[in-house]
Amino acid sequence: MNKKAAFTALFLLAVCAAILFRVVRLDLRPMHHDEANQAVKFGELLEKGEYRYDPIEHHGPSLYYISLPFAWISSGKSFVALDEVTLRLVPALFGVGIVLLLLLLKDGFSGSAILFSGIFAAVSPLMVFYSRFYIQETLLVFFLLGVIAASWRYHLSRTWGWAAATGIFIGLAYATKETCVIAFGALFMGLLLARLFTKEPLGEKPRLVHGFILIGSAALVAFLLFSSFFQNPKGIVDSILSFQSYFGKAGEAGFHSYPWPYYLKMLIFSRYGSGPVWSEALILVLAVIGSVAAFNSNWLKDRSPLLMRFVFFFTFIATAVYSLIPYKTPWNMLPFFIGIILLAGNGAAFLLDRSKNMAAWSLVLAILGVGVFHLGYQAHAANFRYYADSRNPYVYAQTSTDFLNLVKRVEDIARIHPDHKGMLIKVITHADEAWPLPWYLRGFTRVGYWQDVDEAGTLEDVPVVISSIDLMEKIQAKFQETHQGEFFGLRPEVLLAVHIRMDLWKKFLENRR
Amino acid sequence: MFLIFLALPLLFLFVWDTGIAFQDNGQEKVVLELKLPKPMFVGTPRNIRSANLERVTGKKRGPFYVPEGTELLSLNKPVTGSDTAPVIGELEFVTDGEKSGEEGYFVELGPMVQWVQIDLEDTYSLHAILIWHYHSQARVYRDVIVQVSEDPDFITGVQTIYNNDHDNSSGLGIGKDKEYIEVNEGRLIDPRGVKARYVRLFSRGNTSNDMNHYVEVEVYGTPVNE
Repeated sequence: MNKKAAFTALFLLAVCAAILFRVVRLDLRPMHHDEANQAVKFGELLEKGEYRYDPIEHHGPSLYYISLPFAWISSGKSFVALDEVTLRLVPALFGVGIVLLLLLLKDGFSGSAILFSGIFAAVSPLMVFYSRFYIQETLLVFFLLGVIAASWRYHLSRTWGWAAATGIFIGLAYATKETCVIAFGALFMGLLLARLFTKEPLGEKPRLVHGFILIGSAALVAFLLFSSFFQNPKGIVDSILSFQSYFGKAGEAGFHSYPWPYYLKMLIFSRYGSGPVWSEALILVLAVIGSVAAFNSNWLKDRSPLLMRFVFFFTFIATAVYSLIPYKTPWNMLPFFIGIILLAGNGAAFLLDRSKNMAAWSLVLAILGVGVFHLGYQAHAANFRYYADSRNPYVYAQTSTDFLNLVKRVEDIARIHPDHKGMLIKVITHADEAWPLPWYLRGFTRVGYWQDVDEAGTLEDVPVVISSIDLMEKIQAKFQETHQGEFFGLRPEVLLAVHIRMDLWKKFLENRR
Repeated sequence: MFLIFLALPLLFLFVWDTGIAFQDNGQEKVVLELKLPKPMFVGTPRNIRSANLERVTGKKRGPFYVPEGTELLSLNKPVTGSDTAPVIGELEFVTDGEKSGEEGYFVELGPMVQWVQIDLEDTYSLHAILIWHYHSQARVYRDVIVQVSEDPDFITGVQTIYNNDHDNSSGLGIGKDKEYIEVNEGRLIDPRGVKARYVRLFSRGNTSNDMNHYVEVEVYGTPVNE
């Protein structure tokens, strides 16, 4: 088998692994609070065709518009018929797309570096976990990698097509998450520093018209999406005004505030309680080797180091900035982790190239193989066993599996209620304890949400009341033994109480017999 | 006549559209259109990774009175269970006297209905049973059922002294006792002087996961012949 055939076969294997890890059992994990927020927001676009950019919450519109064709195929225009698999398929396929995009980096990275980057991207537990999560991050990483790849192709070809592609990726990244400006800053600084540290001729000068094409296509894409395709031109202004809100959040991180080594510690070594050890240290160590290799002239020989050094400076700056921002959630690692993965691929290629004989080469390959297997093993554990377990470092404020028992109980009661899904349900909880109920109760036509018991009105005749635990005393005072209470887990340390009207409860028990 | 035929479908459409319905008592009624408030969109909630948190109930358990001479009977007594190979820890942890909520002090049994059984090695009048399932996190254990018997196989003479399985999902009968949130002071059950040698405690998962845990169980009583 020649080198090209081996590369093709192994890269296809990596793509297959990426697909398998990302698309199997997408319904396994209960919807996270944030996923449900995104899903309900998307539901408005799906059913009513309405979307208005919200500069305070939800981030950019690309996720919703890209989700539309997926939903049309699976459930038409019905939000009720929509399911978790359809929604999560969107980031899952973009996660696979990340692996494929790496191919555009050829000539800047060696074939084996691209192959190993592809393998790491396919099986990294972090990359897999958030490819199965209906939030913006995986799309953002895809578009950021698209910016790097398309601009690299433009650097090599100087054609208007790649200039436009770069602009489109920039526009899409901006329309995905406003905080991409951090990555944009790191990309810009990375480019400047890479040029400074690379003594090679620029080649054909970029044409001014290509600059206009790049800026124009980026602006057009961002305008179309933020303005809801001309329905809300104010959206583009709001997207700029949103920086005030997001930078405010970044500074005043509240309970999402963590010290600077939070991300690196999580990647190097995590163990919670009696859970397993989690580590992506292999990728980090190889990234350090790959970074050093990017400055090794003997190894590079006649290959251009520009892209490698650009990726190194981008990754270093982005990692530093994201680590220094007090506001941290595990999914915010992704924009810089893709750079780490690229450098790790470079590191693996360097080690193999530098192996002086067959024995050393085989040993390096065996170590890499074991490391990749371990990453895959962890990815499997993180996504198919510890998917909602707080002993998994990537599980963050995740809805408990017990919450699905609550949903089942409400559905069981609706089945015996004369109005079925028209049964009145009153949800009286703190704002952050209501989610993901709106997603799971989307098929019910009479559901109300309150934060204050008194504002919820009478409760005695209400078939089902769902409440926060600390509101129970006040609620039970209104019931006078008219309801049967039950506890269900929402998240670790957060329980919800479900109060079922006694006649329905008795009927439910009779039916069970 | 033609106009009537034209008007009827229009009237039907109007009624359908506006929700007007005619009741049998002749009084006109309309469907009550409830304007229910929508949920607020809020950001990512706090991530809690089970620190050694003490759940504040606001109220401490009051004094509990027992006959003079009541002593702790269960300390280091033999424990058996439905899960002979616990996922974490050993069955002996149930009666080892260690009640810490930290890692390494609890035994984890598998999912579904599981039980542990304490052999007091003699028959006693039981006056208090204290249970700690897992108190480093606010959670509720499902179908907590406590039975006592003279028969180690719990076939004859079984008495249920606590049962909060309100929907009979464990199949041992519907219980009237309340579910409760685990706290560091444990759950106190009053066996009301029932005489028994064996105590069997059931549970069926909890609100955080499907597993069953025990940090400690204490059984207090007095010898029968006293």
